[in-house]
Amino acid sequence: MAKKRKHSETVVAAPQKKEEVAPERPKRTLLGWKDKEAAAVAAPAEDKDDEVHQPTNFRNKEKVLVTCSRRIAYRYRHLMLNVVSLLPHCKKDNKVESQSSKGVALSEMVELKSCSSCLFFECRKHKDLYLWMAKCPSGPSVKFLVNAVHTMEELKLTGNHLKGSRPLLTFSANFDKDAHWKLLKEMITQIFGVPKEHRKSKPYHDHVFVFSIVDDHIWFRNYQVLNLLRDLTQVGPRFCLNPIKIFGGSFGGPTLYENPFYISPNQVSVHFPW
Amino acid sequence: MGTPKVEFDAEDVEPMEDEVDGEFTDSDSDSGEEDIQKLTNPSKDAVYNRDGMNDKLQEISWPENLGWLHKLSLDINQEQDVDVNDDLAREMAFYTQALEGTRRAFEKFETMGLPFLRPPDYYAEMVKSDTHMQKVKSRLLAEKRNMEEAEERRKARESKKLSKEVQAQKQKERATQKKSEIEAVKKWRKQRQQNGFPAPGGKKNGDEIDLDFGDGVKPFAKSNKQRPGVSPGDRSGGKGRMKSWKGTGKPDKKIVKRDRKDSKFGYGGRKGMKKQNTADTTDDFRGFRKTGGDGGNKKRRKQ
Repeated sequence: MAKKRKHSETVVAAPQKKEEVAPERPKRTLLGWKDKEAAAVAAPAEDKDDEVHQPTNFRNKEKVLVTCSRRIAYRYRHLMLNVVSLLPHCKKDNKVESQSSKGVALSEMVELKSCSSCLFFECRKHKDLYLWMAKCPSGPSVKFLVNAVHTMEELKLTGNHLKGSRPLLTFSANFDKDAHWKLLKEMITQIFGVPKEHRKSKPYHDHVFVFSIVDDHIWFRNYQVLNLLRDLTQVGPRFCLNPIKIFGGSFGGPTLYENPFYISPNQVSVHFPW
Repeated sequence: MGTPKVEFDAEDVEPMEDEVDGEFTDSDSDSGEEDIQKLTNPSKDAVYNRDGMNDKLQEISWPENLGWLHKLSLDINQEQDVDVNDDLAREMAFYTQALEGTRRAFEKFETMGLPFLRPPDYYAEMVKSDTHMQKVKSRLLAEKRNMEEAEERRKARESKKLSKEVQAQKQKERATQKKSEIEAVKKWRKQRQQNGFPAPGGKKNGDEIDLDFGDGVKPFAKSNKQRPGVSPGDRSGGKGRMKSWKGTGKPDKKIVKRDRKDSKFGYGGRKGMKKQNTADTTDDFRGFRKTGGDGGNKKRRKQ
């Protein structure tokens, strides 16, 4: 209030204001009368995480940092670029040096870029691709082995969709069968789902992500919705994730889950050299 | 794999399905050995911290009552178990899952009154560039063209096989047609005779219509004469009769010439066509010699 108001103005303003406020009635809810003021006071105090009523002020502020290791193969690099184009809420970063306390370094980098989760494509021996999916400040992280990679550049995948439109995420029912699948489902939803009113998101929903568990692998497909009820064409990319381990912290920490069926590619090449 | 088993509940190990049956049936392995036994032994000490995971899940979850619009996630029930190795079935399963998902989402959007599909006039940046889509299109067209060409080639092959049969059939058809035409003419003649029409030319015999041209040539009979100039390259005058071949494969020129002249003018040729008084014959007294020359060898006379 830089300017001093005349006494007459303030006198005129006050009764008007009162008139505006007065007719408002307290809101009626099932539990009883709820005062609007009380509600207004209560809302900011409520934390996002222990909601009971409709969260009117939730904003999905997810930001994903997408990086890869050095010496990554071309196919996997294209896969990473495809993922970058699919997620408008991601940030692509430079290649990171592999090994040497990578857990800590990566977490720090994610914090630096003010992202809340990370997709890290790690390529070993120029032929095995591992994908780390991590929720960053303190969240769990998963390491996957990626198989059956087909990028969007393949001419057999003929579909196309808006860049940045929000996808529909479909999960097969067996994601609810077990604790580790549930955890993975939640992480996938948060990372691959485009936030609702994101700056770079586009309005319509013209593509569908399919995550389905077959043979203890998570298969990913991306379809374009041409017209309803009948026509879906693949857009790509497509890959298959084999969960190796789930950690309690970001890129490290206590092991929460270990896949008993996982055989590392090194072992495979030792026992099946052909 | 020496895994740090920080939190480990023995009872939480989940009996999972076996991926591979009994090929590598060895004894229990420690976690330290890197063997294939891990495949068949699901209840080995793999870390499975259910409580820890649930805790984490609670930590990171979004609020419960969050509108579906934020998450946009759908759970689709898979009808039957899909074999991983059967590509077609697996892809079909994914496809049906996606289809079902879009259907449900569409219903939800309808009830909420929100737009769902992209209208056809909404142009914006797409995830694949236009040049890329051009390539895709040209590839599809090329494939289609290849298929069509293959089809055509196959059809041509098939039709070639049939063509011989078709030809034979056509010939038969023609023969029968000819026959039927001749029959028709004969019938017509008979009809005329029956009806008592007099034959032209005053002859009572109405069987044959007399088409006598006074030439000694019967009508509709194959003429024995060679037509002069029947074909440009045919030096035999149309008949092509070769009287004697001396075994060399080529008929003697003189004989061919003789044949031609014979066919034209009858044997011996026209009397009048022979030259008699020429410069050579003035001094030629061969016919007036008594016994000179060949001694009666008439064959020698022809030179």
